[in-house]
Amino acid sequence: MRIDNPSQGVAASALLPMQPRHAAALRLWRFLSGRHWTFRTGVVILVALVTTLILAPWIVPHDPAVQNLMARLSAPSAEHWLGTDHLGRDLFSRLLVGGRFTVTIAMVTVLLSFTVGTLIGVVAGRGAGGVLDEITMRVIDVLISIPDVVVAIFLVAIFGPGYATLIASLTVIGWTPFARLARGLTLAINAQGYIQAAEVLGCSRSFIILRHVIPNIIRPIAAVSFLRFGHKLITVGALSFLGLGVQPPAADWALMLADAQPYVERLPILMIAPGLAIFVAALSVTWIGHGLEIEARDGDSGDE
Amino acid sequence: MWTRLLQRLLILGLMLLGVSLLAFLVPYVSGGDPVRTILMSRVRDLAVDPAAVEAMRIHLGLDRPLPVQYGAWLWQALHGDLGYSFASGRPVALEIGRALGVSITLALTALGIAAAVAIPLGTLAATRPGGTVDSATTLMVQTFVATPEYWLAPMGILVFALHLGWLPSAGWTSWTALVLPATVLSLRPMAYFTQVTRAAMMDVLQAPYITAARSRGLSMRQTVMRHGLRNGSLPVVTFFALWLAGLLGGSVVIEVIFAIPGMGRLLYEAVVNRDVPMLQGGFVSIVALSILINTVADMLYVALNPAVRSGHAH
Repeated sequence: MRIDNPSQGVAASALLPMQPRHAAALRLWRFLSGRHWTFRTGVVILVALVTTLILAPWIVPHDPAVQNLMARLSAPSAEHWLGTDHLGRDLFSRLLVGGRFTVTIAMVTVLLSFTVGTLIGVVAGRGAGGVLDEITMRVIDVLISIPDVVVAIFLVAIFGPGYATLIASLTVIGWTPFARLARGLTLAINAQGYIQAAEVLGCSRSFIILRHVIPNIIRPIAAVSFLRFGHKLITVGALSFLGLGVQPPAADWALMLADAQPYVERLPILMIAPGLAIFVAALSVTWIGHGLEIEARDGDSGDE
Repeated sequence: MWTRLLQRLLILGLMLLGVSLLAFLVPYVSGGDPVRTILMSRVRDLAVDPAAVEAMRIHLGLDRPLPVQYGAWLWQALHGDLGYSFASGRPVALEIGRALGVSITLALTALGIAAAVAIPLGTLAATRPGGTVDSATTLMVQTFVATPEYWLAPMGILVFALHLGWLPSAGWTSWTALVLPATVLSLRPMAYFTQVTRAAMMDVLQAPYITAARSRGLSMRQTVMRHGLRNGSLPVVTFFALWLAGLLGGSVVIEVIFAIPGMGRLLYEAVVNRDVPMLQGGFVSIVALSILINTVADMLYVALNPAVRSGHAH
C-alpha cells in the first residue's frame, strides 16, 4: 500500500526556505525514487521531449523548412548531424520540431475525452440502474466498437484536414473508454460510507460528484489517459502518414516517414529517425501510464 | 439478458440510422452541387452545360425534397444497392464485398497470430507474477503498443523484401504476401490479448477450484491446462471480436503500404478520388459491421459466462 504523503514535500520545503529550487528537486527525487525504472525513464523522456518541442524553433541548428537541392539526401556529417532529406532539408532540425502538431493534437484529444468521458461516466454511475444510465451504457457499447481511424478519415473527407476536424473526430469515439471506466469506479464507491453520509446530510448531487466521487476515482482514470495518449500519438501519426492529418510542408514525424519511403534503400536513417521519435514518445507515456495504473490499483485495494 | 439485448438492438438501429443520414448528407455538407460533381467526374470537364445539369438533376431525382431522397437512398441501400463508384463505374456494393473478403482474411490471420502467441505467453506470465517471464512480457507488451505500424511495415519491407528477398514487398497474389502485413498488424492485438489473458489467468488461479485441483495433487501445469486455460481465455473471445471489428476498417495504413485491396484501402482511395458513393457505402458498411460483430461478441460472452448471464457480475 503506497500513498503519496504530501506532508513529506511540504516538510522538505519548510526545512529549506531559502532554497526553493533545491526543495523542488528533492520533491521530484522523492516522487521518482522507489518507482519502477520504466516509470522513471518515461517521466524523464516525456519532460525532455516536451521541453524540446517547446524550445525547438529556437534551438534548431538549421531552418527545418529551408531546402537545399544541391545537398539532397546527404549522409550524416558535422554540418547535418543526421543528414538531409530528399529536398536537402536538415533531418535533425526537422526531427526536433516534428512532434509539435502530433503531440498537441493527441494531448488535446485525450484531455477532452478524459473530461467528457469522466463526467458522463460519473453521472451515469451515480444514477446506476436508471433510464439515463441504461441509455448511456448501450450507446457506449455501440460507439466503442467503431474504429476511430475510420471516423477520422470520413470526417476529414467531408470537412478537410485541420486541427478541429482531427480533434473532434478522435474525441467522438475517444470518450467512451473513459466513461466506461469512470462508471465502473463510481459504482464501486457508491456504497461507501462517506458517500452515504454525504447523501444523508443532504449534499447536492453535483457537490457529491465533484467533492467526493471524482477525487476518489481520478487516479486510475489519469493512468488510463496516459495509455490513451500513447495510442492517440500513433493514430494521429497514421492519419498524417496517409496525408489526412498534418499537411506538408510542415515538419512532422509521420509525414517525414511517408516522404522517406522512396529513398529508404539509399538512406535508411530518413525512415529510422522519425519512426524512432514516435516510438520513444509513445513508449514514454505508456510507461508512465502503466506505472500510475499499478500504483492506483495497489493504493485502492491494499493487498491484492 | 433479453431486455439488454433488445435495448442494444434499438440503440444499434438508431445509431445506424444516424450514421446513414450522415453519409447521405456528405455531398451536401462538403460543399458544391452534387449534380455538378457527378457530371464533372463523368465528363472530366470543369465547364459543364447548365441545361445538362438541370436535366441530370431531374433524371437522378435530385430535384425532390431531401427527406424523400434520403428515404429512397436508404431503401436502395437496404436492398444492397449502394450506387456506382465515380472512379471505377462499378457497383459500390460489389467492390465492398470483394474488399471485405480481403480484409477479413488479413484480420483473421493477424488475430490468429496474435492469439497463438498471447494466450500461452499471458498464461505463463500469470503463473509467476513478478518473475522474469512476467517482466519481459510486460516490456514486450509496452513495446508493441508503442510501435507505429507505418514505421515497422516499411522497415520490414526494407529488410525482408528488399535486402533478404524472402517475401514480396506488396500485393495480394500469394500467401507469402500475407506474412509481412499480418505479422505487423498482429503486434498491437497481441499486446492487448496478452494483458487480458494474464489478468484473467491471475483471477482464475486464485479461484477455489484451482486450490482444490492443486490439493488433489495435480501439478501446476496440469491445473492450468485442465482448469485454468478454459476459463482464463474467455475474455479473449470478446477482445478477439472487438479487434476483428476494429481491424476491418482500421488497418487502413497497412493496406495502403502493402497495396492490399481491402476495406481500408477502399475507403482511403474513395477519399483521395473524391468518390462520394464509395465513401458513403464504405463508411456505412464498416460502421455497421463493427457494431454488429461487437454485439454478437458481447452476447456470445454473456452466453458463455454463467456469472454474467445471471446478472451477478455486472
